[in-house]
Amino acid sequence: MNTTSHALLMALFAACVAVVGGVLLKDTPKEQARSAAGIFGSLVGAALVLGWVLYFLPL
Amino acid sequence: MAARAVSKRPARSSQPAPGASPAARPLPLVYLAAWLVPGGGHLWLGRTVKGVVLLVMLPLMFLIGLWLDGRLFPFTPGEPLVALAAVANVGAGLPYFIAQALGAGAGRVLSVTYEYGNAFLITAGLLNALAVIDAHDIALGRK
Repeated sequence: MNTTSHALLMALFAACVAVVGGVLLKDTPKEQARSAAGIFGSLVGAALVLGWVLYFLPL
Repeated sequence: MAARAVSKRPARSSQPAPGASPAARPLPLVYLAAWLVPGGGHLWLGRTVKGVVLLVMLPLMFLIGLWLDGRLFPFTPGEPLVALAAVANVGAGLPYFIAQALGAGAGRVLSVTYEYGNAFLITAGLLNALAVIDAHDIALGRK
């Protein structure tokens, strides 16, 4: 396949995990949406922070 | 005031549908349904919204994993990490067996998205395992 955007794939993965996680963790739609948004933000935010931290580490 | 309180509609939720008593379901069959058909356990237990979301999202994640050239790992006793990945793959249920029957999931190591595909395939199986545990809790009346 031709998709080579790692950021897009990472966001897609985070979105899928967030939706399933939110639905499993909470019972009402409002809570589920809030939980999914939190999971999505945490996953993407952690990936960006780790990416920048690793950028400064010499290999 | 009391009449208003009575007429107030309850918050929407994915609570069990009327007549769907979790206690009436044989637990092993609930586990089997929840594993084989992602969301199947929830649908059987009357949690329609949860069941439909799982039924759409988990096979979708599995398909994206195959599309990204991910691999369905074989059970290799000499390689524990590969065997663990294989267990996670089997966790996806019917999509795994259908993909195996169709010869999909060979994986292409040289593909840029190979590791992403593996992440999607493995995570789909592990999330389905979480869904089975959630169905277990619902069947026991804990949720």
